[in-house]
Formats: sequence, C-alpha cells, structure tokens
Amino acid sequence: MAFVGAFTRRPDADAKVRGAARYVADLDVPDAWLGGTVRADVARGRLVRIDRDPGFDFTRVVVVTAADIPGRNVVALITDDQPLLAQDAIEHHGEPIALVAAPDRATLLAALAALRPVIAARTPCFDMEASAVVWKRIAIDRGDVDAVWAKAHRVVEGTFHTGSQEQMYIEPQGCVAWPPDRHGVVVVRGSLQCPYYVQKALMAALDLPAERARVVACTVGGGFGGKEDYPSVIACHAALLARAAGRPVKLLFDRHEDLAVTPKRHPCRVWHRTAVAADGTLLAMDIDVRMDGGAYTTLSPVVLSRGVLHATGPYRCANVRVRGAVVATNHVPYGAFRGFGAPQTCFAVERQMDRIATELGMHPVALRRHNALAPGDRTATGQLLDDSVAAHAVLDAVVAETGCARMPWRTQKRGRRRRGFGVSLFWHGAGFTGSGETKLKSRVAAAVLADGRVEVAAAATEIGQGTEAMLRAIAADSLGCGAADVALTEPDTGRAPDSGPTVASRTCMIVGGLVAQACRQLRDRVGGDEARPFRDRAAAFVRDGGDGRVEVEYHAPPGIVWDEANYRGDAYPVYGYGADVVEVEVDVATFAVKVLRFCTAIDVGRAIQPGLVRGQIEGGSLQALGFGHLEVVTTQAGRLRQDRMATCIIPTAVDAPPMRVLLVERPFQHGPFGAKGVGEMPADGGAPALAAAIEDAIGIAVDAVPATPERLLAAWLQTHPEEAL
Amino acid sequence: MLRLPTFTYHRPQTAAEAVALASEHGREAMYVAGGTDLYPNMKRRQQTPTHVISLQDLPGIGAVEVHPQGGVRIGAMTKLSTIEHHPHLRQHFPAFAHAVREISTPLLRNMGTIGGNLLLDTRCSYYDQSHEWRESIDFCMKKDGAICWVAPGSPRCWAVQSSDTVPVVCAMECDVELVGKNGPRRLRASELYRDDGIQYLTKQPEELLTYLYLPPATGFKASYLKLRRRDSFDFPVLGVAACVWTGVDGVVTKANIRLGGAGSYAIPASESEKLLVGSKLTDEVIAAAGTAAMKPARTMDNTDGDVYWRKKVAPVFVARAIAACR
Repeated sequence: MAFVGAFTRRPDADAKVRGAARYVADLDVPDAWLGGTVRADVARGRLVRIDRDPGFDFTRVVVVTAADIPGRNVVALITDDQPLLAQDAIEHHGEPIALVAAPDRATLLAALAALRPVIAARTPCFDMEASAVVWKRIAIDRGDVDAVWAKAHRVVEGTFHTGSQEQMYIEPQGCVAWPPDRHGVVVVRGSLQCPYYVQKALMAALDLPAERARVVACTVGGGFGGKEDYPSVIACHAALLARAAGRPVKLLFDRHEDLAVTPKRHPCRVWHRTAVAADGTLLAMDIDVRMDGGAYTTLSPVVLSRGVLHATGPYRCANVRVRGAVVATNHVPYGAFRGFGAPQTCFAVERQMDRIATELGMHPVALRRHNALAPGDRTATGQLLDDSVAAHAVLDAVVAETGCARMPWRTQKRGRRRRGFGVSLFWHGAGFTGSGETKLKSRVAAAVLADGRVEVAAAATEIGQGTEAMLRAIAADSLGCGAADVALTEPDTGRAPDSGPTVASRTCMIVGGLVAQACRQLRDRVGGDEARPFRDRAAAFVRDGGDGRVEVEYHAPPGIVWDEANYRGDAYPVYGYGADVVEVEVDVATFAVKVLRFCTAIDVGRAIQPGLVRGQIEGGSLQALGFGHLEVVTTQAGRLRQDRMATCIIPTAVDAPPMRVLLVERPFQHGPFGAKGVGEMPADGGAPALAAAIEDAIGIAVDAVPATPERLLAAWLQTHPEEAL
Repeated sequence: MLRLPTFTYHRPQTAAEAVALASEHGREAMYVAGGTDLYPNMKRRQQTPTHVISLQDLPGIGAVEVHPQGGVRIGAMTKLSTIEHHPHLRQHFPAFAHAVREISTPLLRNMGTIGGNLLLDTRCSYYDQSHEWRESIDFCMKKDGAICWVAPGSPRCWAVQSSDTVPVVCAMECDVELVGKNGPRRLRASELYRDDGIQYLTKQPEELLTYLYLPPATGFKASYLKLRRRDSFDFPVLGVAACVWTGVDGVVTKANIRLGGAGSYAIPASESEKLLVGSKLTDEVIAAAGTAAMKPARTMDNTDGDVYWRKKVAPVFVARAIAACR
C-alpha cells in the first residue's frame, strides 16, 4: 500500500491556499440577479397579508410568495411540515415569507424594505420542558432497571444541561440557480454537503423528475453539519426566483443572516439515575433525554436517535432504560452539528460517571476502566460487540501519556489559581443509524478513462475534511496505481451516483468502502501482468473494447440486523472510541478557565490519511472545548442574541491549548483497509472532560455547559455564600 | 446584507485642508484613519457620515519620535502594530505597549491607528447592532432613537468606553495635540473625554487629533489589565490602568487608576487613589484599594459578561493591576 496510511498532498490544497478555489460567491454567472428573503420579525403568528409600498416600482424586480410555488410548499426532508415560504402560520423568528430577485444590490435592498408582511402575533413557546408538541419519542429498554434500585449499593442521580452551538463554518451559505433550460433541467450550484438531499427538495418544490433537477456542490468552505439540511431551503428559494425571473439568481447569505436563521446544535437536558455496586459496577442506568427541536421537525428525529443510542456511554450495563423526546418550540429549527446529538448525551453520562466516582471515592479512571465495553459485551440495544472494540485501548493510551490515573481526584486545592484534570471516555457509531445505510443503498462508480486513468464517481463532498485525498488514496491502493492516476468527479447529481450524504462519519467507511470495492473489481477485470503499470493495462483494456465501468451498491455486512420499531439490535455497523484528558487552571477570583493541556486518543480503525485524521481530531476537539466553556448561544424572544461574529464567539488558534493526539488503530473487518469514521467523534469528549477538570480544580459541580465564568461564579456562591456581594 | 452606504471620500494633503473640509461639511463629515471602527459602524448605520475625510496623506503624523529628554511623541496615524513592536516603547512604556497589543487581532492592528483607538466610538449591546436589529427595538438615543434601553428612565446615554489605550494614557498623564480652525492646541489626554455615551469627546468635531505625547518614563510604574472572554481578541469587559509614583522609601506619592469598560469614559478610581497615597503597596493596602475602586463604576447590562460577575471580579482585577505596579 503506497497511499493508505501515508502522508500525501491534498488534491484540493493548492487551489485553496492560492485563493484560486471557486466558492459559490466566486462564480461568475453572466446576467445573474441577486436574491433576498423577506422574513418574519416575530417568533409566532399568523401571516395576514404582505403589503407592498406603493412608492416602489415592483416591475423592476421579481417577487415570489407561497402562491408561486409550482410543486409542494415544503422543504422535503424527513417530515413535510416545514414550508418553503410561510403561507399562514409563522412558527419562528426569521421564517421566510417572500423572496425577491433584483438586478443589483441597491434595488434588492429597496425591494426587500418595500415588502411589509402583516403578522398577527401569537403566544410563542420557548421552554422545551413546557412544550406539549413532541416531534419524536424513542425508548430503549434492556433488562429491568426497577428490579435493581433496592439492591444497589448506591443510587446516584444527576441532571445535566448543554447549550446550543453555532457551526461557524468559514464560508456562509449560498446557492446559484439557473432557470429551466430547453430540456426543462434546473441546475443549482451551492455550498452544500449533500447534493442528493437538495435534489430531493428541488423535485418536491418545483414538481420535477430527478433528471430535471441537477445539483452540484461547489468548493465548500466548511459545513460541520450546518450544510446538511439548510442548503435545501436556499436551493429551492434560488430555483424559484430563477424560474420566476427567467435568468440565473444568486442567493448568498452574509454572516449575519446565516447566523440568524440557519440551524444550530440542539439544546438538551439529560437526567440520569444510576444504580452502582460497591466496586463501581453499573447495575442499572435510567436516562431521560429531552431536546429542543425548534419550530419544525427537520433532522430532529435522527439527532435524537443518535443522542439516545450514545446515552449510556461506552459502558457495560445489564439494565438500561432510556427515554428520549425532541419537542417543538418557537425557536429557529435546530439541526445537524458535528456529533449529531451524541455530544449532548455524552456530556451527561460522563459527568454522571464522575459523580458516581466521587460518591464511591473511586478514581474516575478506575471507574471507567471497570465498566468500559470490551469484546463480547452487549450495548443497551443488545448489539454484540465482537470486532474493533477499543474502549480500553484509548483509555490506556491517554492514561499512559498523561499519567492521569495517578492524579488525585477532587482533593481540596488552594491558592488563587487552581489546577485540575478531567477525563472522558466516549464512543461514536460510524455511519447512519440503524437501517439507514441499508435503506439508502449508496452507489459508487469507477470507470477507466481512455488514457488509463480511473474516474471515481461519488456524491461525497470535500468540505475541508479531506474527502478527496482520502478517497483517492483508497482508490489508488485498491487499483494498484498512482494517486495521480485517480480522478474524482465533481459531486454532481448529473454525473455521480448517489453515494449518500456527507454526514454521520460515513464518508470514509461507507463511501470509501464502496470505492475500494469498485476499484478492486475494476483491477480484477483489467487483469494482466501486475508488473506493468495499471494505467497502461487499463488503457489497453478499454482500447480493446473491455467494459471499464463498475458500479457497486452498499449492502450491510452480514449479520447486521436492526429492529427500528423496538430499538433493538445493531444500531451501527461499528463504533469508534475516544478518550480525552483535559488539564485546566481556574482563577478563583475571575473564574477564567485556561486549558493547559489537552490529550486525546481516538480509535479510527485505520487512519487512511493520518495527517488529515489528526487535523480532524484537533479541530473537532477545539470545537468541543469551545462548547464546554466559551460558546454562548442564547435567544431573546426567539431571536438569536449572538448574531455577529463579534458576539457569537468561538475559540481561535490563539485560544487552542497544546494538543497531543494519539491515533489508536483497531481495524474493522468490514471497513476499507480497516477504517471506521472520524469526523464527529472528536466533538463528543472535550466538554465533559473540561467540565470535570474545572470541578476537580475548584470543587464545584459543573453540570451545565458552556461553563462560563458567570455560571462558575454562581455555582461557587452556592457553596461559598459568604463571598456574595 | 451589510453594505457601506454611499459617501463622498476626501483625501486632503494637509491638516489645515482636512480641518477646512470637516468644518465645511459639519455634522455630515467624519475623519477616517485606519477605518477599522468607522467602516463596520457605517455598515450597520451606527455612524452615517456622507463625507469621509481620509487622513492617510497627511504628512508627519505617522511615526514614533523619541525625544532626548525621555518623552515620546506618537503621530496619530501610527499603526497599532508599529507601537506594539517598537523596542523603545516596549522597554520604557511596557503598560502602554501591552495595552496596544491587547487590542483586537494582529490583522486589525496592522490597519488600525493609535489616533483611531484613542477616539474609538463608545459601545453598547443595544447600539452595536445592525440597522434592522436596532430598528426592531425602535432604536436607542445614541443613534436614531429617543430612549436608553440599558436604563430606560435615563436622560443620558450609557454606552461604554471600550478602548484599551484610553485608560492607560489617562492614568499616565499623557498629552494629546489637536489641530482646529485656530491652529494646534495641547491638552491632557484625560481632558479629551467626558462622561457621556454620545458626546464622549470634548473636542470640536472638526478638531483633528495629531499627536499623543508620552511623558518621560521616570518616577512611575504603570500597568494595564484587561478582562475579556477570550485571550485572543475581544473588547474589554473591564480594562484597568494603574500608574503609581513612589518615593525612595516605597511610599506612594501619587496614584492614578482608571477603569475602562465600566462607564462612558475611563473612570478615575479616586477613593482607591486616596487609599494608596502615603502608604506602601502592601497586600492589605492593595486589597482595600481594589475594593474601593468600583464605587464610581457604572456597571450596567450593556456589554459582554453578566453584571453580577463583572461587579464581583472587578475589585480583584483592580488590585491585580495595582500589584503589577510594585
């Protein structure tokens, strides 16, 4: 193997570093008009009418309202409850009401200001605990928790809260749409993660068959989940405007609009009650998860699903009851963000483990080691873990690196600046949940070009994470050719088969697996003397009339069975495992938290491109630390309070602690070259380890994140009332 | 979409020409130096001059000049990054150079000037918002509205002094030079500011800030301590400058303490100053001075950081700034 496991140059690096890469806003589209959106300025209400300022000449622009939608007025995703444009009910602040396209920016702004929606306000609901509308409920049961409580050495309870979080991708969202061409084909190019999701939405909105809705992903400036579902809204809006205007329309969000209306991480509350034996054995786990889904269903059911499936953490327990609900409020719909529900429930279970350790007087490392999943164990859904189980390996790796198993836990510290450490152990299912991959039937094609190079066609998008370099390395080693002999098609529904969305830590394991499979078939088909370069043999093969195209479809590995109705069976084909150790210094006068050191061990099965994998881990870990103490995302009357980069803050490179990344490779037999997933997992463990470190340093319970100085002070005053002002 | 409004851009070649342009266009005109404060404010329609007068071509006000007697004259157009890296300033005026380094990011400091930072617009969470946001609350008295949303009964604006350098130059008793219609005049930096969120400067609108004068760095020690959410960049939630003169016996003969981010100007902590004068800088004296410092502060809910937390941590922060002058 020449490329898998080696450091290779990213195919997309040169253009990005030189500034030559063409993001959607860079596209030079002759005759394009600019699009904009008229939005609701209340969180809930009834749209009475849209007044038009008689002083503005509306013949200069194109206006689209719900009445102008040729297909169905829905954002087709999971449940068709979200309108593309509000018709009657307004359910969240910033909800789109009308669209405008204009030849220039000044005219567009004037037209947007001249359209005045009249809305009769209704009473909104912002409290997820009070919401009576449930988007999705999930129950997981194993054994009998209620039979255990009386027998337990201790029963420990805790309630944990996590806030929302903004993806803050580098490039704001946007799409360009063209009106139907002479064949009736509508083309959209945009900054998006999932071309086929957008295609599905376009087909519903414009009443088009698949072959007339073509979606192409441009160079994408980061997504982190934020460009999973929302590009469908922008693409449909742009396409509706282009159709009405009879010319291309660019609909580009600036940062302010992007922050205000695009989905963010679900706020979450998790309650735990755990029965433990005197030696720390987990006897029963009773868990209740509640998430704020916002105004429409969007991706909430699947976010909840991943959340509850990770709610027990990577721990063995014979008796488990998990109840999950994601509910409606009048917040802007929450959506996908790296980790997809797991960072919330991971935070809760890890804080609960620390609470148990404190109650039992055990070291948090010892408690985790005692209960960590091992080969032969079963999960809460009854899944047997028999391959690539690395919970102990990752924990051992960070313990060996940091010596944290010998650090005293929760001892009284003194002085103005107090140090503490925290550890977290976590897991992350690779690929879609449950039978998602089986239903999706992802496809990938590989075809020999006339010059003997191989073109790999997949809809997986390069969003900065290194998809192109990773798929190329897998293809080259599967074919036995050079990396330069592999070409990747643009993610284009007109050219690449549906290899599924670029989400769920699935691109390497699922799409990469299909690429490996297709390329191996092609290598066998081309045959010949392998001493000769593949490219020469392949060119000769097609010149001689050989069929140089292979298309493969996903089939679940044998023995993987999932019962969706009862939440039983194999929730994921396999899990990745991770462990974090965070060391902090807390100033007990200002409650400023400084992360001194961060160490993480991540099991990815096999690192196809180790440099990129490390980059993924460092970036995801920093996002997790930001989630833990820095990133405040709140609303006021349903409207985002932090709607600019000056107020919606994330850690910068300067704020990043020294990071030690340890790659643990426990190959998965059904993954390409043994690979599992990496994208989301680093987002899971940082916040609970950081919270634990703060708790260790200053001796107060940190049950909610972000653990801002204000929150820490409030918690501190609970135990030090004499210090109150 | 946040776009600049239309305006006329002027590039005068002399200070006199600049002042004449500013006088001619009156309230419609504003000077621009680095543009890092004005242009974003214009995009949000917080400041809406129709005539923008660039100072980039004015001769002689873009350099740091060290005088043989020990004082320093800094041209108002000097880039913040020039000051930050200036060896003489770093060695002899560490508190000032440190305050400059605490301003925003390296990118901004490569554009922003000392003059612009000394005249930085006051800030408030109800004012530093887009036009559409401010319109939705019917604006505030600092721009386009009639009410102060921080203190709705208040007849005045409570926007917050947020420059990192202002507390330091006030505490260090620096001078500034202004050029107006009648030529130049020199005054104490502290006299340039007033306690009002809207009229936060005492100078006439057409008066042009040309120089900052640092006094000879002898007899005092100064410090600047900035409280904010991130170490990388953010405006100060609290910026404490302390400047302490001590005799040979270690007894404080004079002390200036200025609180930035705590009101509409860099507030003098007079009670703390009184406590320090005549005493040695012992831990007890410093702690008492810290506790006394926040009495004049007007901590309101109009910056980042919860009010209670800001009030709680401020005395400690002031004490640390004073301790840094030992």
